[in-house]
Amino acid sequence: MDETQSSKEDTGLKGLYCGPIDFTDPMGRRLLRGITISFTPPTLCVITGPSGSGKTSLLRAISGLNKAHVPKRRLGNRTYSDRRLPEWRSKVTLLLQDAPCIEGTIRDNLAFAFSFKNALNKEFSEKEACELLKRVGLDHFGLDHTVNGLSGGERHRLSLVRGLLWAPPVLLADEPLSGLEPELAQVCFELLYEYSHKRPAVVICVLHQERFARQADTVLRLKDGTLH
Amino acid sequence: MGHYIELSGFDLFLAVGLIVIASVISISLRLGLTRSLMVAASRCMLQLGAIGIVLKKIFQINSPILVIGWLAIMLVMAAREAVRRSKSKYRGINMDALSTMTFTSLVVGLLVTQVVIKVRPWYDPQYVIPIFGMIFGNSLNGICLCLDRFLEYLRSRRQEVELRLCFGATRQEAVIDGARQAVRTGMIPIINNMTVAGIVSLPGMMTGQIVAGASPVQAVAYQIVIMFMIAASNALGAMLLATLAARRLISNYGIELNDK
Repeated sequence: MDETQSSKEDTGLKGLYCGPIDFTDPMGRRLLRGITISFTPPTLCVITGPSGSGKTSLLRAISGLNKAHVPKRRLGNRTYSDRRLPEWRSKVTLLLQDAPCIEGTIRDNLAFAFSFKNALNKEFSEKEACELLKRVGLDHFGLDHTVNGLSGGERHRLSLVRGLLWAPPVLLADEPLSGLEPELAQVCFELLYEYSHKRPAVVICVLHQERFARQADTVLRLKDGTLH
Repeated sequence: MGHYIELSGFDLFLAVGLIVIASVISISLRLGLTRSLMVAASRCMLQLGAIGIVLKKIFQINSPILVIGWLAIMLVMAAREAVRRSKSKYRGINMDALSTMTFTSLVVGLLVTQVVIKVRPWYDPQYVIPIFGMIFGNSLNGICLCLDRFLEYLRSRRQEVELRLCFGATRQEAVIDGARQAVRTGMIPIINNMTVAGIVSLPGMMTGQIVAGASPVQAVAYQIVIMFMIAASNALGAMLLATLAARRLISNYGIELNDK
């Protein structure tokens, strides 16, 4: 979705609008050239592209985690300035590429965000957490299991459950299926799809696997700084 | 009580013998410390000698401006030393250390000298200079420990901080764990000191007062005030510095460790 689609800025009450994004990395490479992201829910969008093309930078720019030039961020009828980035991120939430964990138990890792000021009246549901953990095959650990020693794939599944429990209107996921066996990857992808259509929400995933791209609502390819 | 044995130049000369013992050990064990030991001993004598002369003058003139001026010099030196001792640095660290020490020493120092001890006149150098000096010296240690711990946290737990930011944490919420750990680290030495005070060691100030002829009970009373004062200044200093460092190093875009 490149600048030609910026005319779609008015995306309705629940729509996401972000752009036009320009980003030059510390090496001086201009990775993103005037990209505008504009979606209405329900949407599951998969972004592909060669490695180093700026996919992670794009998600971080939308989330406001790098110093990309983003003149306008809007969700529904509210715009968010740089000063309101924490609030923006509580609604446009990024699942980081390396699926980091905070020190502590699985419960700590799923519940920490609910104590933030921006959680407003969201409440952590243990029941929902257990159900989701079961679906991604992490239920055998139990909520009080420490996260030390979880494998990369397990951390990615935990990260996905964290994102789904948080249930933001826009979920950005940076390679959420990496390190997963094909069957588990399929389960996780279906969870994302289900989330985007049931909530309904906008889910934007950076993925390498072609077979998942075919199952998405929209597939975009990032090349030479623009989305095609 | 009220009298003490004066030390003459010859007594000090005899004390040099103690350094000779340390040097002989260094030479016989080939520690390679002889030169550093000599330099350190000479610096110690020269610096303390100079301070003695300056303090004597300040005590004689007994002017508030001189006392404040001297405290300001001590403050700047302490802040510089705190930064120098920290293993890692960032842009703006000098300003943060100076503001922290200024605020901490003003709050705690004025409280102790003017409210607890009720020094009259308020600037009496006999009390004000040693007490502020102790605040500077001790909060310097607390600040160094706190700063090292906090910066280490930001480096090693960068992803955790980012993870919190991703879920809508404010800057404070994103680093609160690190700040807690840092302040705790800054306070551990004084807690340890208070725990063993009088059992394992007699604290320096108390020893000094007893040698100078004060009654042990009064010396103890002063020491208690001083220890509580150090606890307050360490807690305040560590908390303030962690806050200032967080403001500088965490922006809305994440951690920005601008290493110096």
